[in-house]
Amino acid sequence: MMPKKNKILVIDDDPGVRESYDQILSSNPVSGIMDKGRDLFAEKDQDIGVKPSRQYDITLTDCGEAGVSAVQEAVSRQNPFATAFIDMMMPGIDGAETARQIWRIDPDIKIVIVTAYSDYTPDDIVRIVGREDLFYLRKPFNPVEIRQFARALTNQWELEREKELLSEKLARAHEQEITTAAKIQQALLLGQPPKNIQGIQLCQKTIASQKVDGDFIDFIQLSDTTLDVVVGDVMGKGIPAALVGAALKSQLSRALNKLSQSGDAREIPKPENIVSVVQASMIQQLEDLETFVTLCYARFDLARNLIQYVDCGHTRTIHFQKETNTCRLLEGVNMPIGFPEKEAFSQMSVPFKPGDRFVFYSDGLTEAKTAQAEMYGEQRLVDFVQQHAGADLQDLIEDIWQDVVGFSQSEIFGDDFTCIGVRIMNTDAPAAGHSPEENLEIKSDLNELARVREFTRNFCNHAPAELLDRSRIDLIELAVNEAVVNIIEHAYREAPDKPVRIEAQLSPDQLVFRLYDWGSSFDPAAVPPPAFDGSKDHGFGIYIIDQAVDEVEYTREENGRNCATMTINLRGEN
Amino acid sequence: MQFETEKIGDVTVVKVQTEVLDAGNAKEFRAGISPILEEGAKIVFDMSQLNFLDSSGCGTILSCLRQLNTAGGDLKMFGLQQSVRTLFELIRLHRIIDIFNTRDEAVNAYRM
Repeated sequence: MMPKKNKILVIDDDPGVRESYDQILSSNPVSGIMDKGRDLFAEKDQDIGVKPSRQYDITLTDCGEAGVSAVQEAVSRQNPFATAFIDMMMPGIDGAETARQIWRIDPDIKIVIVTAYSDYTPDDIVRIVGREDLFYLRKPFNPVEIRQFARALTNQWELEREKELLSEKLARAHEQEITTAAKIQQALLLGQPPKNIQGIQLCQKTIASQKVDGDFIDFIQLSDTTLDVVVGDVMGKGIPAALVGAALKSQLSRALNKLSQSGDAREIPKPENIVSVVQASMIQQLEDLETFVTLCYARFDLARNLIQYVDCGHTRTIHFQKETNTCRLLEGVNMPIGFPEKEAFSQMSVPFKPGDRFVFYSDGLTEAKTAQAEMYGEQRLVDFVQQHAGADLQDLIEDIWQDVVGFSQSEIFGDDFTCIGVRIMNTDAPAAGHSPEENLEIKSDLNELARVREFTRNFCNHAPAELLDRSRIDLIELAVNEAVVNIIEHAYREAPDKPVRIEAQLSPDQLVFRLYDWGSSFDPAAVPPPAFDGSKDHGFGIYIIDQAVDEVEYTREENGRNCATMTINLRGEN
Repeated sequence: MQFETEKIGDVTVVKVQTEVLDAGNAKEFRAGISPILEEGAKIVFDMSQLNFLDSSGCGTILSCLRQLNTAGGDLKMFGLQQSVRTLFELIRLHRIIDIFNTRDEAVNAYRM
């Protein structure tokens, strides 16, 4: 395919002049001989028997208005003119005004003003047009001048255009990179917190900035009573940072593997050793890439009620202590990973108590800025955590985000936003890390109800008080009481010495009571609704159970055992 | 089951002297209270000692109310602990039986 010819626009009210432009620009400028021949013999190109390929695609118009609309149409067809030759004096709008209007439509076109009069100085024209990058040509013009202008300006136009296309392409490529980096981040860098860890509540919020910068998170559970939280930030942005973050995460698990295999199998690797192994395996690559990683590796040891952490130049973790209602900052002594550090990494230990909270975050949070470049800052975050110490953990993390957005008046930060909340829960449970379970066996005797209620109440007290309050425990006690009464009075028809078994189980999200009997089966659908008008003395039991717990299910097993399962949700709507 | 009673004019205040009224002792309660609920009696239950009531206990109280109502008497009460009040509200007993915060309020309600 022939390369597309560049377009030239000629605006002149004189048909003879337009014809000259056409002649001059149509001739093959490479052939000097042809020019010479025509100059000498006043012959047209065709007349000497050679039809040169036209170098330009030429449009001739006879007034300013027509020229402006030609430019308009070319732009809308995405096939713009490279250069325009505009006569100064024309009926209708003059050359200067035409140039001004054309540049408003297409600021890239090269313009040559051609004038035979001295009415306007170049300065006058510049004033009207508002741009200085105009060219002037005096009439009568020399065909060579026209060709030189056409060639020089069209080439320049073409170069500028290529440059523009190239930077558009680069911008698209960059955008692609950001999208890819964001995908890497989502898939590889942001670990999901494990659920069902007894004694600990976890919440996280991460918002990727437009320039992904390699924030990463990991949660590792190495035993029933420990949870490791890793928060890091790779220096740099885009795919390289995201890949370094992903590599570091995988090095973390390799380090864990390596240490677990080499050491005493009963002992889980210490955070300081894990980080040291990661540093050793990555230092060379990080130095080569001229980057480094800030990191906080924190282990929550629920059996010993302490946090062991290795801080490598990361933002300081906030520790809210419920007992004293104060916040302290967990500070480390280590350099970031990737620094040629001679000293070994060392970990710190800080005890915690039920109700304490920890807030991990990236500098994207504290360095969020207002339009006036004021930073949100560590102190503001500490104050916020302190003031909202009573809030639900999930709400706290969400409120921090809202506060930072409100502060910076923007939801788009320069950096990734990462915030993780950890709350130590009441661990009165028999063995932290295990879901407590207790059973009670009684005989079918209504005088046993006091024991049933005591068992129920004591078991309910294993649940954190903030998840299960006094009045709800009253209701659960009532529900279990009602269910046992039903078993004794209906399933066993008040026969004595029949077995009733109660199994209670507590998980982080639920409290479950299962009541077993070996009497006649029970169909809750056959129970009439209660009479609220005082006309009946009984028939409230099933209704009370329904109202008191979140879920109740009556099943009969093949071996003739009946089971009433009552579930109480500790989170979410009650 | 023992009940301590006190006459204030024509109103009888009955101190419910048990912490628990459940399926285990509802019959005993019913038998003990029956003689007090004579014809046309204006009864006030002092519930302040009671900290657990179940549906059988509620049934017993309802049966007391019905016995009184059919014989031209009435039952009012005061001093309900929170757990007892919660159950009353759950099965809407508070709409059938007049409940007061204090003994004077309950007694005076009969005088209006």
